[in-house]
Amino acid sequence: MTASYQHMPLAQVEPGMVLSDELLDVQGHVLLPQGTVLTDATIALMPRHGITMLPIAVLAEPTEEELSARQARHLERLAHLFRKSDLDSDWASALLHRFVTDYRLGQLPAEE
Amino acid sequence: MNTMLTYDDIVNNLEDLPSLPAVVMELLNSIDQEDVDISVLAKKVSYDQALTAKTLRLANSSLYGLQVKVTTIQQAITFLGFQTTRNLITAAAVTGCFAERHCKGFDHKAFWRHSIASAACARVLARQMRFNQDYAFTGGLLHDIGRLVLVACFPKEYEKAIAYRDEHDSYTLEAERAVLGIDHVAAGMALADHWNFSDTMKLAIAHHHSPEAQGAGFLAAIIHVADAIAHALDLAKTPDGLVPSVSTVAWTALGLDEEVYLQLFRETELQYEEIAMVLLS
Repeated sequence: MTASYQHMPLAQVEPGMVLSDELLDVQGHVLLPQGTVLTDATIALMPRHGITMLPIAVLAEPTEEELSARQARHLERLAHLFRKSDLDSDWASALLHRFVTDYRLGQLPAEE
Repeated sequence: MNTMLTYDDIVNNLEDLPSLPAVVMELLNSIDQEDVDISVLAKKVSYDQALTAKTLRLANSSLYGLQVKVTTIQQAITFLGFQTTRNLITAAAVTGCFAERHCKGFDHKAFWRHSIASAACARVLARQMRFNQDYAFTGGLLHDIGRLVLVACFPKEYEKAIAYRDEHDSYTLEAERAVLGIDHVAAGMALADHWNFSDTMKLAIAHHHSPEAQGAGFLAAIIHVADAIAHALDLAKTPDGLVPSVSTVAWTALGLDEEVYLQLFRETELQYEEIAMVLLS
């Protein structure tokens, strides 16, 4: 449903944020359905269910600068992770690199 | 360098390793048997409360989409089948059995984060390929188990291998071979023999870095690609994370396109969070 989401530590979660996926407890029970708007009360209940990370929908359109800064961070990290791969000659590694890059930057698959 | 180890050194030290609960050994040994008495095994597992609790939490996670909550091992077997339940028990037992040895530079938590990420990814890949998802999950979880063997048996020597890796920014495998004279693949094989893993699992452990080898088997290809994806998705979150070179043979064997991979990355991340919450708690 939501195009974009991030796993956010409980401490950073604020009332008004929206769940991008259904929230499960450690036993796998659904605690809250997808799309729930979190409140102080629901957030306060999380520790009791052992929840430390929540899938939060990214709703507000980030500014141009935020977006490009985030993309730059992703690209920098990916360059670091793939630092040993020869992306010019090793085509399987190059494809994995391209797919994960597209995934991180939220792009649709390029037309072949 | 006077620390070169041989395969025999590993084998001779395996006896000192923590052993799995007897019932888990029994489960591993019976992996190819059709006529095991399930009710007896279920009962034995249930004597181990911690193991039972972890297994049931995995069984009730959204991975398996059960409509009812299972509360006993016997019930888990009824709803998930013997093989899936056995794999869950194994996962719960193995992740809890190695004590954290002091070995400078080796991060036990990060090790398991990567193993769980690989397991989650291998399982999603296997479903896509119509391959046995339980084998893939267990294979992903155990593919690097040899590193734990080396850490447990030779912590001082392994520290040197890690120092070498950091100094040369090399792959772990290269550092192990250069410093120890043996790598985690061989150590994993020794343990797989010792613990009586099935042949399928042994092949996957043996060839997760060499899926193009003759007779490596399809599971090795799945684990190899899952390992690379887990590194690329950065799920273990280690600062010096490094994606291994992807085998073109394994990549071609899977033959998936970008759209499938993007979907698979998302599923892997979600499943990873959930499994890690159970197994690392």
